[in-house]
Amino acid sequence: MSVETAPNQLNVPYLDISDPSFAMQSEELRNARETNWYAKTNYGIAVLRYEEVSKLLKSPKLIQGSAKWPAHNGVHGGLFFEWWTKNLLVLEGEDHHRIRRLLNPAFSPRLIKDLVPRFQALANELIDDFIDGGSCEFIGDFAEPYATRVLTILLGIPESQWPTIARLASTIGLALGVTFKQDLDKVDAAVAELYAYAEDLIKDRQANPGEDFVSRLVLASRDGDTLNDEELRNALVLLIFGGMDTTRNQLGLAMQSFMRNPKQWELLAQRPELGGKAVEEVMRINPTVTWVTREAVEDFTYQGLEIAEGTTVHLFTQASGTDPLAFPNPELDLLGEHPAHYGFGGGVHHCLGHFVARADMSEALPLLASRLANPHLTGGDEWLPDSGNTGPIRLPIGFTKRR
Amino acid sequence: MAQITVDRKLCDNHGQCAIAAPKVFSMNDEGILEFEETFDDALLDEVEEAIDVCPVQAIFVKD
Ligand code: HEM
Ligand code: HEM
Ligand code: SF4
Repeated sequence: MSVETAPNQLNVPYLDISDPSFAMQSEELRNARETNWYAKTNYGIAVLRYEEVSKLLKSPKLIQGSAKWPAHNGVHGGLFFEWWTKNLLVLEGEDHHRIRRLLNPAFSPRLIKDLVPRFQALANELIDDFIDGGSCEFIGDFAEPYATRVLTILLGIPESQWPTIARLASTIGLALGVTFKQDLDKVDAAVAELYAYAEDLIKDRQANPGEDFVSRLVLASRDGDTLNDEELRNALVLLIFGGMDTTRNQLGLAMQSFMRNPKQWELLAQRPELGGKAVEEVMRINPTVTWVTREAVEDFTYQGLEIAEGTTVHLFTQASGTDPLAFPNPELDLLGEHPAHYGFGGGVHHCLGHFVARADMSEALPLLASRLANPHLTGGDEWLPDSGNTGPIRLPIGFTKRR
Repeated sequence: MAQITVDRKLCDNHGQCAIAAPKVFSMNDEGILEFEETFDDALLDEVEEAIDVCPVQAIFVKD
Protein backbone atom coordinates (compact mmCIF):
# COMPACT_ATOMS: atom_id res chain seq x y z
CA MET A 1 0.00 0.00 0.00
CA SER A 2 1.76 3.16 -1.06
CA VAL A 3 -1.03 5.58 -0.21
CA GLU A 4 0.38 7.49 2.68
CA THR A 5 -0.62 10.50 4.64
CA ALA A 6 1.49 13.60 4.18
CA PRO A 7 2.42 15.58 7.25
CA ASN A 8 -0.12 18.26 8.29
CA GLN A 9 -2.64 17.20 5.66
CA LEU A 10 -4.95 14.37 6.47
CA ASN A 11 -5.79 11.84 3.83
CA VAL A 12 -3.75 13.28 1.01
CA PRO A 13 -2.46 10.30 -0.97
CA TYR A 14 1.03 10.24 -2.49
CA LEU A 15 1.86 8.92 -5.99
CA ASP A 16 5.36 8.35 -7.39
CA ILE A 17 4.63 9.26 -11.01
CA SER A 18 8.21 8.79 -12.21
CA ASP A 19 8.41 5.16 -11.01
CA PRO A 20 8.51 3.15 -14.27
CA SER A 21 6.02 0.70 -12.77
CA PHE A 22 3.53 3.44 -11.87
CA ALA A 23 0.19 2.40 -13.38
CA MET A 24 -2.81 4.58 -14.12
CA GLN A 25 -5.28 1.70 -14.16
CA SER A 26 -4.34 0.40 -10.74
CA GLU A 27 -5.73 -0.26 -7.30
CA GLU A 28 -3.30 2.36 -5.96
CA LEU A 29 -4.75 5.08 -8.17
CA ARG A 30 -8.37 4.09 -7.58
CA ASN A 31 -7.81 4.18 -3.84
CA ALA A 32 -6.14 7.57 -4.08
CA ARG A 33 -9.05 8.94 -6.12
CA GLU A 34 -11.55 7.56 -3.63
CA THR A 35 -9.68 9.16 -0.75
CA ASN A 36 -9.22 12.64 -2.19
CA TRP A 37 -9.62 14.76 -5.32
CA TYR A 38 -5.89 15.25 -5.63
CA ALA A 39 -2.67 13.47 -4.69
CA LYS A 40 0.78 14.74 -3.94
CA THR A 41 3.45 13.49 -6.29
CA ASN A 42 7.22 13.70 -6.46
CA TYR A 43 6.64 16.79 -8.57
CA GLY A 44 3.63 18.97 -7.86
CA ILE A 45 0.11 17.66 -7.43
CA ALA A 46 -2.00 15.27 -9.50
CA VAL A 47 -5.73 15.99 -9.91
CA LEU A 48 -7.69 12.74 -10.00
CA ARG A 49 -11.44 13.45 -10.17
CA TYR A 50 -13.59 14.54 -13.10
CA GLU A 51 -15.14 17.72 -11.76
CA GLU A 52 -11.85 19.14 -10.50
CA VAL A 53 -9.93 18.20 -13.66
CA SER A 54 -12.64 19.85 -15.75
CA LYS A 55 -12.53 23.03 -13.70
CA LEU A 56 -8.75 23.35 -13.35
CA LEU A 57 -8.05 22.51 -16.99
CA LYS A 58 -9.81 25.72 -17.96
CA SER A 59 -8.79 27.83 -14.98
CA PRO A 60 -7.29 31.22 -15.88
CA LYS A 61 -4.97 30.74 -12.87
CA LEU A 62 -3.07 27.93 -14.59
CA ILE A 63 -0.91 28.05 -17.71
CA GLN A 64 0.80 25.43 -19.84
CA GLY A 65 3.32 23.65 -17.62
CA SER A 66 5.33 22.03 -20.38
CA ALA A 67 7.31 25.15 -21.30
CA LYS A 68 9.97 24.24 -18.76
CA TRP A 69 10.32 20.64 -19.87
CA PRO A 70 13.69 21.06 -21.70
CA ALA A 71 15.14 23.10 -18.84
CA HIS A 72 13.90 20.52 -16.35
CA ASN A 73 16.01 18.02 -18.29
CA GLY A 74 19.08 20.23 -18.28
CA VAL A 75 18.60 21.28 -21.92
CA HIS A 76 18.98 25.02 -22.46
CA GLY A 77 19.80 25.42 -26.15
CA GLY A 78 19.82 23.81 -29.57
CA LEU A 79 17.27 23.45 -32.32
CA PHE A 80 14.72 21.50 -30.32
CA PHE A 81 14.94 23.97 -27.46
CA GLU A 82 14.47 26.93 -29.82
CA TRP A 83 11.50 25.29 -31.49
CA TRP A 84 9.88 24.07 -28.27
CA THR A 85 9.92 27.47 -26.61
CA LYS A 86 8.19 29.09 -29.60
CA ASN A 87 5.52 26.54 -30.44
CA LEU A 88 1.80 26.96 -29.93
CA LEU A 89 1.66 24.36 -27.19
CA VAL A 90 3.77 26.44 -24.82
CA LEU A 91 2.91 29.99 -25.91
CA GLU A 92 0.48 31.87 -23.67
CA GLY A 93 -1.88 34.82 -23.85
CA GLU A 94 -2.11 36.92 -26.99
CA ASP A 95 1.05 35.28 -28.49
CA HIS A 96 -0.77 31.95 -28.33
CA HIS A 97 -4.16 33.24 -29.44
CA ARG A 98 -2.78 35.06 -32.47
CA ILE A 99 -1.18 31.89 -33.89
CA ARG A 100 -4.21 29.80 -32.98
CA ARG A 101 -6.53 32.23 -34.81
CA LEU A 102 -4.42 31.96 -37.93
CA LEU A 103 -4.20 28.15 -37.79
CA ASN A 104 -7.79 27.36 -36.79
CA PRO A 105 -9.61 27.90 -40.12
CA ALA A 106 -7.56 25.19 -41.91
CA PHE A 107 -8.81 22.72 -39.25
CA SER A 108 -12.48 23.51 -39.80
CA PRO A 109 -14.59 20.35 -39.47
CA ARG A 110 -16.22 21.22 -42.81
CA LEU A 111 -12.87 20.97 -44.60
CA ILE A 112 -11.74 17.85 -42.73
CA LYS A 113 -14.96 16.04 -43.79
CA ASP A 114 -13.77 16.10 -47.41
CA LEU A 115 -10.82 13.86 -46.47
CA VAL A 116 -12.99 11.03 -45.08
CA PRO A 117 -13.12 8.95 -48.32
CA ARG A 118 -9.32 8.98 -48.42
CA PHE A 119 -9.14 7.86 -44.77
CA GLN A 120 -11.46 4.94 -45.59
CA ALA A 121 -9.47 3.93 -48.68
CA LEU A 122 -6.24 4.04 -46.68
CA ALA A 123 -7.64 1.90 -43.85
CA ASN A 124 -8.90 -0.71 -46.30
CA GLU A 125 -5.62 -0.77 -48.20
CA LEU A 126 -3.66 -1.44 -44.99
CA ILE A 127 -6.10 -4.14 -43.83
CA ASP A 128 -5.98 -5.83 -47.28
CA ASP A 129 -2.24 -6.35 -46.82
CA PHE A 130 -2.50 -8.53 -43.71
CA ILE A 131 -6.09 -9.80 -43.53
CA ASP A 132 -5.46 -13.18 -45.21
CA GLY A 133 -2.73 -14.13 -42.72
CA GLY A 134 -5.11 -14.11 -39.73
CA SER A 135 -2.60 -12.16 -37.66
CA CYS A 136 -0.69 -8.88 -37.68
CA GLU A 137 1.52 -6.63 -35.60
CA PHE A 138 -1.16 -4.01 -35.12
CA ILE A 139 1.18 -1.04 -34.56
CA GLY A 140 3.62 -1.67 -37.42
CA ASP A 141 1.02 -3.01 -39.84
CA PHE A 142 -1.80 -0.60 -39.13
CA ALA A 143 -1.62 2.09 -36.43
CA GLU A 144 1.70 3.65 -37.42
CA PRO A 145 1.29 3.73 -41.23
CA TYR A 146 -2.32 4.89 -40.81
CA ALA A 147 -1.47 7.73 -38.40
CA THR A 148 1.47 8.87 -40.50
CA ARG A 149 -0.18 8.61 -43.90
CA VAL A 150 -3.22 10.53 -42.64
CA LEU A 151 -0.80 13.37 -41.89
CA THR A 152 0.85 13.13 -45.31
CA ILE A 153 -2.65 13.30 -46.85
CA LEU A 154 -3.47 16.34 -44.73
CA LEU A 155 -0.19 18.10 -45.51
CA GLY A 156 -0.15 17.06 -49.18
CA ILE A 157 3.23 15.28 -48.91
CA PRO A 158 3.62 12.23 -51.22
CA GLU A 159 2.32 9.26 -49.20
CA SER A 160 5.40 7.21 -50.18
CA GLN A 161 7.49 9.42 -47.90
CA TRP A 162 5.70 8.30 -44.76
CA PRO A 163 8.52 6.14 -43.35
CA THR A 164 10.87 9.16 -43.32
CA ILE A 165 8.27 11.32 -41.60
CA ALA A 166 7.54 8.58 -39.08
CA ARG A 167 11.22 8.17 -38.26
CA LEU A 168 11.77 11.90 -37.79
CA ALA A 169 8.71 12.38 -35.61
CA SER A 170 9.62 9.41 -33.41
CA THR A 171 13.16 10.70 -33.01
CA ILE A 172 11.87 14.09 -31.90
CA GLY A 173 9.55 12.18 -29.56
CA LEU A 174 12.65 11.05 -27.64
CA ALA A 175 12.73 14.62 -26.36
CA LEU A 176 9.71 13.84 -24.18
CA GLY A 177 11.28 10.76 -22.62
CA VAL A 178 13.62 10.31 -19.68
CA THR A 179 16.68 9.92 -21.91
CA PHE A 180 16.18 13.36 -23.51
CA LYS A 181 19.60 14.71 -22.52
CA GLN A 182 21.50 11.71 -23.97
CA ASP A 183 19.44 11.82 -27.17
CA LEU A 184 19.79 15.56 -27.70
CA ASP A 185 22.07 15.39 -30.76
CA LYS A 186 19.78 12.91 -32.49
CA VAL A 187 16.74 15.01 -31.63
CA ASP A 188 18.30 18.22 -32.96
CA ALA A 189 19.35 16.49 -36.19
CA ALA A 190 15.77 15.28 -36.69
CA VAL A 191 14.41 18.78 -36.08
CA ALA A 192 16.83 20.11 -38.73
CA GLU A 193 15.66 17.49 -41.24
CA LEU A 194 12.00 18.15 -40.53
CA TYR A 195 12.60 21.90 -40.85
CA ALA A 196 14.03 21.34 -44.34
CA TYR A 197 10.93 19.33 -45.27
CA ALA A 198 8.60 21.98 -43.94
CA GLU A 199 10.48 24.81 -45.64
CA ASP A 200 10.29 23.08 -49.05
CA LEU A 201 6.59 22.49 -48.56
CA ILE A 202 5.99 26.13 -47.65
CA LYS A 203 8.00 27.46 -50.61
CA ASP A 204 6.12 25.18 -52.97
CA ARG A 205 2.68 26.30 -51.75
CA GLN A 206 3.69 29.97 -51.72
CA ALA A 207 4.64 29.59 -55.39
CA ASN A 208 1.64 27.42 -56.33
CA PRO A 209 -1.17 27.99 -53.86
CA GLY A 210 -4.14 25.61 -54.16
CA GLU A 211 -7.15 24.53 -52.12
CA ASP A 212 -5.13 22.18 -49.92
CA PHE A 213 -4.42 22.39 -46.21
CA VAL A 214 -0.89 23.85 -46.35
CA SER A 215 -1.98 26.44 -48.93
CA ARG A 216 -4.68 27.51 -46.50
CA LEU A 217 -2.06 28.03 -43.79
CA VAL A 218 0.23 29.92 -46.18
CA LEU A 219 -2.67 32.16 -47.26
CA ALA A 220 -4.20 32.49 -43.77
CA SER A 221 -4.70 36.07 -42.72
CA ARG A 222 -6.63 37.76 -40.00
CA ASP A 223 -7.09 41.53 -39.55
CA GLY A 224 -4.19 42.09 -41.93
CA ASP A 225 -1.92 39.73 -39.98
CA THR A 226 -0.33 36.57 -41.47
CA LEU A 227 2.03 33.79 -40.37
CA ASN A 228 5.65 34.47 -41.31
CA ASP A 229 7.87 31.72 -42.72
CA GLU A 230 9.32 30.78 -39.34
CA GLU A 231 5.88 30.58 -37.75
CA LEU A 232 4.62 28.44 -40.62
CA ARG A 233 7.59 26.11 -40.30
CA ASN A 234 7.24 25.80 -36.52
CA ALA A 235 3.54 25.07 -36.91
CA LEU A 236 4.08 22.33 -39.51
CA VAL A 237 6.65 20.64 -37.30
CA LEU A 238 4.24 20.81 -34.36
CA LEU A 239 1.45 19.25 -36.41
CA ILE A 240 3.69 16.35 -37.45
CA PHE A 241 5.09 15.96 -33.95
CA GLY A 242 1.77 16.38 -32.15
CA GLY A 243 -0.40 14.44 -34.56
CA MET A 244 1.45 11.24 -35.33
CA ASP A 245 2.52 9.35 -32.24
CA THR A 246 -0.65 10.45 -30.46
CA THR A 247 -2.90 8.95 -33.13
CA ARG A 248 -0.75 5.80 -33.44
CA ASN A 249 -0.79 5.25 -29.67
CA GLN A 250 -4.50 5.99 -29.36
CA LEU A 251 -5.36 3.44 -32.07
CA GLY A 252 -3.22 0.84 -30.28
CA LEU A 253 -4.99 1.58 -27.00
CA ALA A 254 -8.35 1.37 -28.77
CA MET A 255 -7.49 -2.15 -29.96
CA GLN A 256 -6.47 -3.08 -26.41
CA SER A 257 -9.75 -1.78 -24.99
CA PHE A 258 -11.88 -3.62 -27.53
CA MET A 259 -9.95 -6.88 -27.08
CA ARG A 260 -10.97 -6.62 -23.44
CA ASN A 261 -14.58 -5.92 -24.46
CA PRO A 262 -15.38 -8.36 -27.32
CA LYS A 263 -19.15 -7.70 -27.18
CA GLN A 264 -18.56 -4.01 -27.84
CA TRP A 265 -16.34 -4.93 -30.82
CA GLU A 266 -19.19 -7.03 -32.25
CA LEU A 267 -21.59 -4.16 -31.74
CA LEU A 268 -19.23 -1.81 -33.59
CA ALA A 269 -18.91 -4.34 -36.44
CA GLN A 270 -22.66 -4.40 -36.82
CA ARG A 271 -23.24 -0.68 -36.35
CA PRO A 272 -20.40 1.28 -38.03
CA GLU A 273 -22.24 4.52 -37.31
CA LEU A 274 -21.03 4.06 -33.71
CA GLY A 275 -17.45 4.79 -34.88
CA GLY A 276 -17.52 8.30 -33.44
CA LYS A 277 -18.82 6.99 -30.13
CA ALA A 278 -16.12 4.32 -30.11
CA VAL A 279 -13.43 7.01 -30.31
CA GLU A 280 -14.95 8.99 -27.43
CA GLU A 281 -15.34 5.92 -25.23
CA VAL A 282 -11.81 4.66 -25.83
CA MET A 283 -10.31 8.07 -25.17
CA ARG A 284 -12.33 8.33 -21.97
CA ILE A 285 -11.25 5.02 -20.44
CA ASN A 286 -7.86 4.51 -22.15
CA PRO A 287 -6.35 7.84 -23.26
CA THR A 288 -2.81 8.00 -24.65
CA VAL A 289 -2.14 11.38 -23.05
CA THR A 290 -2.39 10.25 -19.44
CA TRP A 291 -1.93 13.70 -18.01
CA VAL A 292 -1.60 17.31 -19.13
CA THR A 293 0.70 19.58 -17.17
CA ARG A 294 -0.15 23.04 -15.89
CA GLU A 295 1.62 25.57 -13.70
CA ALA A 296 0.07 28.12 -11.32
CA VAL A 297 0.68 31.74 -12.45
CA GLU A 298 -0.36 33.16 -9.09
CA ASP A 299 -1.17 31.95 -5.58
CA PHE A 300 -4.78 30.80 -5.36
CA THR A 301 -7.03 28.61 -3.28
CA TYR A 302 -9.10 25.86 -4.83
CA GLN A 303 -11.41 23.67 -2.73
CA GLY A 304 -9.54 24.67 0.38
CA LEU A 305 -6.16 23.78 -1.10
CA GLU A 306 -3.65 26.60 -1.30
CA ILE A 307 -1.83 26.35 -4.61
CA ALA A 308 1.29 28.52 -4.66
CA GLU A 309 2.57 30.30 -7.75
CA GLY A 310 4.83 28.00 -9.72
CA THR A 311 3.22 24.76 -8.47
CA THR A 312 3.08 22.04 -11.15
CA VAL A 313 -0.40 20.58 -11.52
CA HIS A 314 -0.83 17.30 -13.42
CA LEU A 315 -4.41 16.78 -14.65
CA PHE A 316 -5.04 13.04 -14.94
CA THR A 317 -7.21 12.13 -17.92
CA GLN A 318 -7.87 8.41 -17.43
CA ALA A 319 -8.58 8.79 -13.71
CA SER A 320 -11.03 11.64 -14.41
CA GLY A 321 -12.73 9.77 -17.26
CA THR A 322 -13.48 6.76 -15.05
CA ASP A 323 -14.28 8.69 -11.85
CA PRO A 324 -17.33 6.96 -10.34
CA LEU A 325 -18.64 10.32 -9.08
CA ALA A 326 -19.14 11.44 -12.71
CA PHE A 327 -19.51 8.01 -14.35
CA PRO A 328 -21.60 5.63 -12.23
CA ASN A 329 -21.01 2.98 -14.96
CA PRO A 330 -17.48 3.71 -16.09
CA GLU A 331 -17.08 0.63 -18.37
CA LEU A 332 -16.69 0.98 -22.14
CA ASP A 333 -20.23 1.35 -23.50
CA LEU A 334 -20.90 2.50 -27.06
CA LEU A 335 -24.57 3.06 -26.23
CA GLY A 336 -23.98 4.95 -22.96
CA GLU A 337 -24.45 8.69 -22.52
CA HIS A 338 -21.35 10.09 -20.84
CA PRO A 339 -19.98 13.56 -20.12
CA ALA A 340 -17.08 14.75 -22.34
CA HIS A 341 -13.59 13.28 -21.69
CA TYR A 342 -10.35 15.29 -21.56
CA GLY A 343 -8.18 13.04 -23.72
CA PHE A 344 -7.68 16.04 -26.04
CA GLY A 345 -6.92 18.33 -23.10
CA GLY A 346 -9.12 21.40 -22.70
CA GLY A 347 -9.23 25.15 -22.41
CA VAL A 348 -7.14 27.42 -24.62
CA HIS A 349 -4.67 24.61 -25.42
CA HIS A 350 -7.43 22.17 -26.39
CA CYS A 351 -6.01 19.95 -29.13
CA LEU A 352 -5.97 21.80 -32.44
CA GLY A 353 -6.03 18.58 -34.47
CA HIS A 354 -8.96 16.87 -32.73
CA PHE A 355 -11.35 17.10 -35.68
CA VAL A 356 -8.72 15.32 -37.82
CA ALA A 357 -7.97 12.70 -35.16
CA ARG A 358 -11.67 12.11 -34.49
CA ALA A 359 -12.46 11.86 -38.21
CA ASP A 360 -9.65 9.41 -39.02
CA MET A 361 -10.08 7.15 -35.96
CA SER A 362 -13.87 7.03 -36.28
CA GLU A 363 -13.41 5.62 -39.81
CA ALA A 364 -10.61 3.20 -38.91
CA LEU A 365 -12.23 1.51 -35.90
CA PRO A 366 -15.53 0.38 -37.49
CA LEU A 367 -13.70 -0.74 -40.65
CA LEU A 368 -11.37 -2.86 -38.53
CA ALA A 369 -14.32 -4.26 -36.56
CA SER A 370 -16.23 -5.12 -39.72
CA ARG A 371 -13.27 -7.06 -41.18
CA LEU A 372 -11.50 -8.63 -38.14
CA ALA A 373 -13.52 -10.88 -35.83
CA ASN A 374 -12.34 -11.83 -32.33
CA PRO A 375 -9.05 -9.93 -32.20
CA HIS A 376 -6.84 -11.25 -29.38
CA LEU A 377 -3.30 -10.88 -28.07
CA THR A 378 -0.85 -13.47 -29.33
CA GLY A 379 2.08 -12.49 -27.09
CA GLY A 380 5.18 -10.36 -27.45
CA ASP A 381 3.44 -7.01 -26.89
CA GLU A 382 5.63 -4.14 -25.63
CA TRP A 383 4.43 -0.97 -23.94
CA LEU A 384 5.49 2.59 -23.21
CA PRO A 385 5.40 3.54 -19.50
CA ASP A 386 2.12 5.01 -18.21
CA SER A 387 3.57 8.46 -17.45
CA GLY A 388 3.03 11.26 -19.95
CA ASN A 389 2.05 9.64 -23.26
CA THR A 390 1.41 5.92 -23.28
CA GLY A 391 0.45 3.08 -25.63
CA PRO A 392 1.75 -0.12 -27.19
CA ILE A 393 5.06 -0.13 -29.10
CA ARG A 394 4.35 -3.63 -30.46
CA LEU A 395 0.95 -5.30 -30.43
CA PRO A 396 0.90 -8.72 -32.13
CA ILE A 397 -2.71 -9.89 -32.53
CA GLY A 398 -4.59 -12.80 -34.08
CA PHE A 399 -8.13 -12.64 -35.53
CA THR A 400 -10.60 -14.37 -37.82
CA LYS A 401 -11.09 -12.80 -41.22
CA ARG A 402 -14.65 -11.63 -41.74
CA ARG A 403 -14.24 -10.16 -45.23
CA MET B 1 -27.52 42.56 -36.57
CA ALA B 2 -27.00 38.83 -36.33
CA GLN B 3 -27.89 36.56 -33.42
CA ILE B 4 -26.42 33.44 -31.85
CA THR B 5 -27.15 31.03 -29.01
CA VAL B 6 -24.89 28.72 -27.06
CA ASP B 7 -26.19 25.37 -25.86
CA ARG B 8 -25.11 25.64 -22.24
CA LYS B 9 -25.56 21.92 -21.65
CA LEU B 10 -22.97 21.22 -24.34
CA CYS B 11 -20.63 24.16 -23.69
CA ASP B 12 -17.63 23.02 -21.65
CA ASN B 13 -16.05 26.48 -21.24
CA HIS B 14 -12.96 25.71 -23.34
CA GLY B 15 -12.84 29.36 -24.42
CA GLN B 16 -11.86 28.66 -28.02
CA CYS B 17 -14.70 30.91 -29.20
CA ALA B 18 -13.24 33.77 -27.17
CA ILE B 19 -9.93 33.33 -29.01
CA ALA B 20 -11.64 33.31 -32.42
CA ALA B 21 -14.11 36.16 -31.81
CA PRO B 22 -13.06 38.14 -28.74
CA LYS B 23 -15.54 40.97 -29.39
CA VAL B 24 -18.47 38.59 -29.02
CA PHE B 25 -17.24 35.91 -26.60
CA SER B 26 -15.19 36.23 -23.42
CA MET B 27 -14.27 34.15 -20.39
CA ASN B 28 -14.84 35.63 -16.93
CA ASP B 29 -12.51 35.36 -13.92
CA GLU B 30 -14.07 32.03 -13.01
CA GLY B 31 -13.34 30.68 -16.48
CA ILE B 32 -17.03 30.71 -17.47
CA LEU B 33 -18.21 31.80 -20.94
CA GLU B 34 -20.00 35.13 -21.40
CA PHE B 35 -21.21 36.28 -24.83
CA GLU B 36 -23.27 38.85 -26.71
CA GLU B 37 -26.42 37.37 -28.22
CA THR B 38 -26.60 40.00 -30.91
CA PHE B 39 -23.67 41.49 -32.76
CA ASP B 40 -22.81 43.59 -35.75
CA ASP B 41 -22.87 41.88 -39.16
CA ALA B 42 -19.28 43.02 -39.67
CA LEU B 43 -18.26 40.39 -37.07
CA LEU B 44 -19.98 37.56 -38.89
CA ASP B 45 -16.75 36.06 -40.29
CA GLU B 46 -15.17 35.94 -36.84
CA VAL B 47 -18.27 34.42 -35.31
CA GLU B 48 -18.37 31.77 -38.01
CA GLU B 49 -14.80 30.89 -37.08
CA ALA B 50 -15.88 30.63 -33.46
CA ILE B 51 -18.75 28.32 -34.45
CA ASP B 52 -16.35 26.12 -36.43
CA VAL B 53 -13.67 25.96 -33.78
CA CYS B 54 -15.83 25.16 -30.75
CA PRO B 55 -14.59 21.68 -29.76
CA VAL B 56 -18.07 20.56 -28.75
CA GLN B 57 -19.93 22.48 -31.50
CA ALA B 58 -22.19 24.28 -29.01
CA ILE B 59 -22.69 27.59 -30.86
CA PHE B 60 -25.61 28.14 -33.23
CA VAL B 61 -26.79 31.00 -35.42
CA LYS B 62 -30.36 32.16 -34.78
CA ASP B 63 -32.31 33.30 -37.81
C1 HEM C 1 4.71 17.70 -22.88
C2 HEM C 1 5.16 17.77 -21.67
C3 HEM C 1 5.61 16.64 -20.81
C4 HEM C 1 5.70 15.30 -21.07
C5 HEM C 1 5.32 14.58 -22.33
C6 HEM C 1 6.21 14.68 -19.89
C7 HEM C 1 6.47 13.32 -19.79
C8 HEM C 1 6.99 12.75 -18.69
C9 HEM C 1 7.32 11.37 -18.60
C10 HEM C 1 7.17 10.36 -19.71
C11 HEM C 1 7.79 11.14 -17.35
C12 HEM C 1 8.14 9.83 -16.78
C13 HEM C 1 9.58 9.61 -16.64
C14 HEM C 1 9.79 8.23 -16.12
O1 HEM C 1 9.16 7.29 -16.60
O2 HEM C 1 10.63 8.11 -15.19
C15 HEM C 1 7.79 12.39 -16.66
C16 HEM C 1 8.22 12.56 -15.38
C17 HEM C 1 8.37 13.79 -14.80
N1 HEM C 1 7.92 14.99 -15.28
FE1 HEM C 1 7.08 15.31 -17.06
N2 HEM C 1 6.40 15.63 -18.94
C18 HEM C 1 6.06 16.84 -19.45
C19 HEM C 1 6.15 18.06 -18.85
C20 HEM C 1 6.69 18.25 -17.60
C21 HEM C 1 6.93 19.53 -17.00
C22 HEM C 1 6.63 20.84 -17.66
C23 HEM C 1 7.48 19.31 -15.78
C24 HEM C 1 7.95 20.28 -14.73
C25 HEM C 1 8.07 21.56 -14.86
C26 HEM C 1 7.57 17.89 -15.61
C27 HEM C 1 8.09 17.30 -14.51
C28 HEM C 1 8.32 15.96 -14.40
C29 HEM C 1 9.00 15.34 -13.30
C30 HEM C 1 9.62 16.06 -12.14
C31 HEM C 1 9.04 13.98 -13.54
C32 HEM C 1 9.68 12.94 -12.68
C33 HEM C 1 10.97 12.55 -13.33
C34 HEM C 1 12.14 12.56 -12.42
O3 HEM C 1 11.98 12.18 -11.26
O4 HEM C 1 13.20 12.98 -12.88
N3 HEM C 1 7.08 17.29 -16.72
N4 HEM C 1 7.28 13.36 -17.50
C1 HEM D 1 -5.56 10.82 -30.92
C2 HEM D 1 -4.80 11.79 -31.33
C3 HEM D 1 -4.48 13.00 -30.51
C4 HEM D 1 -4.47 13.18 -29.15
C5 HEM D 1 -4.81 12.15 -28.07
C6 HEM D 1 -4.09 14.55 -28.89
C7 HEM D 1 -4.01 15.10 -27.64
C8 HEM D 1 -3.70 16.43 -27.38
C9 HEM D 1 -3.70 17.04 -26.08
C10 HEM D 1 -4.04 16.33 -24.78
C11 HEM D 1 -3.36 18.34 -26.22
C12 HEM D 1 -3.27 19.40 -25.10
C13 HEM D 1 -1.94 19.40 -24.44
C14 HEM D 1 -1.92 20.33 -23.26
O1 HEM D 1 -2.87 21.04 -22.98
O2 HEM D 1 -0.88 20.36 -22.57
C15 HEM D 1 -3.11 18.57 -27.62
C16 HEM D 1 -2.71 19.76 -28.18
C17 HEM D 1 -2.39 19.92 -29.51
N1 HEM D 1 -2.58 18.98 -30.52
FE1 HEM D 1 -3.31 17.12 -30.32
N2 HEM D 1 -3.85 15.17 -30.08
C18 HEM D 1 -4.07 14.27 -31.09
C19 HEM D 1 -3.97 14.49 -32.45
C20 HEM D 1 -3.51 15.67 -33.01
C21 HEM D 1 -3.38 15.91 -34.43
C22 HEM D 1 -3.77 14.92 -35.52
C23 HEM D 1 -2.85 17.15 -34.56
C24 HEM D 1 -2.49 17.93 -35.81
C25 HEM D 1 -2.78 17.59 -37.03
C26 HEM D 1 -2.67 17.71 -33.24
C27 HEM D 1 -2.16 18.95 -32.96
C28 HEM D 1 -2.15 19.55 -31.71
C29 HEM D 1 -1.66 20.90 -31.46
C30 HEM D 1 -1.10 21.86 -32.49
C31 HEM D 1 -1.83 21.14 -30.08
C32 HEM D 1 -1.46 22.42 -29.31
C33 HEM D 1 -2.68 23.30 -29.19
C34 HEM D 1 -2.45 24.55 -28.36
O3 HEM D 1 -1.57 24.55 -27.48
O4 HEM D 1 -3.18 25.53 -28.59
N3 HEM D 1 -3.09 16.78 -32.32
N4 HEM D 1 -3.34 17.38 -28.31
S1 SF4 E 1 -15.64 27.19 -27.57
FE1 SF4 E 1 -17.55 26.08 -27.28
S2 SF4 E 1 -17.27 24.98 -25.39
FE2 SF4 E 1 -15.72 26.54 -25.46
S3 SF4 E 1 -16.59 28.26 -24.33
FE3 SF4 E 1 -17.00 28.57 -26.48
S4 SF4 E 1 -19.01 27.65 -26.74
FE4 SF4 E 1 -18.27 26.89 -24.84
